[in-house]
Amino acid sequence: MIHPILALSLSLFLAVILLSAASHKLRARDRFARQLADYALLPESTIGWAARLLPALEVLVGVALLVPALRTVGAIAAALLLVLYSAAIAINLLRGRRDIDCGCSGPGLERPLGAPLIVRNAVLLGMAALVALPASHAALHGFGLFLIAACVATGLMLYTATEGLLANQPRLDSLSRR
Amino acid sequence: MDVALISQILLWIVVMVLAFVVMALIRQVGVLHSRIAPAGALILDKGVAVSSPAPQVTAADRHERPVNIGYKGEKGQLLFFLSPTCPICKSLLPSLRSLARSYREDLDVIYVSDGDASSQQALIAEHGLEHATYVVGPEIGMTYQVGKLPYAVLIDADGVLRAKGLVNNREHLESLFEAQAMGVGSLQEYMQDKPRAAQ
Repeated sequence: MIHPILALSLSLFLAVILLSAASHKLRARDRFARQLADYALLPESTIGWAARLLPALEVLVGVALLVPALRTVGAIAAALLLVLYSAAIAINLLRGRRDIDCGCSGPGLERPLGAPLIVRNAVLLGMAALVALPASHAALHGFGLFLIAACVATGLMLYTATEGLLANQPRLDSLSRR
Repeated sequence: MDVALISQILLWIVVMVLAFVVMALIRQVGVLHSRIAPAGALILDKGVAVSSPAPQVTAADRHERPVNIGYKGEKGQLLFFLSPTCPICKSLLPSLRSLARSYREDLDVIYVSDGDASSQQALIAEHGLEHATYVVGPEIGMTYQVGKLPYAVLIDADGVLRAKGLVNNREHLESLFEAQAMGVGSLQEYMQDKPRAAQ
């Protein structure tokens, strides 16, 4: 049993991340298809199809996380999606293909594949696992709601900041390499 | 409302503001990086020096026609080294085609690649390079000591090597032309020479 404040904060956080990821992918579908092709995991003929399916799945999972009755299902689906992405990244890391764009953040945040991505996905996976646990029934009132909003806002800002740091790292390296 | 609750609320507000400041700072660092990113094609200190005669080499293109590189001619030459297995090379091909069109009067673009013939064929078909000069073979790459891809070399009509470097985006490609216009090999060289000139 986890406290509803924790369950709600985490599910809101995950939902926002999934929905924003889906919106990047839907807004630049060609770019996402190219990124998928660079991963070199799917046969060429299925790439166009997968480039539409993955963002649609992300939207579905994100919405499911927001609906209380579907939260557990949504959390499990989110975890599966994260495992799938991590596996794709891990396979390409093992192949030594570090120079492809990970396609994991929005435009302007292109960065090569690397171990930090696996760590990020593991953290998100842990959150999804917590959300999948049943939440206790405690009544939420003023301060509880404030706490949820504050946790989600802070979490999202720190997440964006970390993404930014990771995206800046290779640029910094290429500047100081001489 | 007791003091502990007020303190909690205030602390959360402070944490949120701090998180926002950190995010904004990192965003600004990112913007700064993207402003200084087109720092020019990176030269790896190998091969022929810029502003010296380009090594002369003749190779057969994929239709077995001879291609002369580094000789005096009517047009300059842009050698673009690529490989079908390199994703960045492929993403540069549209920019390269438009550059080739705009410099059509005084520049021949020569694509140089190596490796498996069937994947070359697929790349050529996908990017409409059927009529381009496309050389498959190791000779040119070895002569110019190309270690990393995508790599570009600019040679003028007199057979002098004007600029070269690793090119990762359109700005890098354009920087080669900039380097030719300024008579400086690379931004790195320019930055190194400037303090000396000021002294």
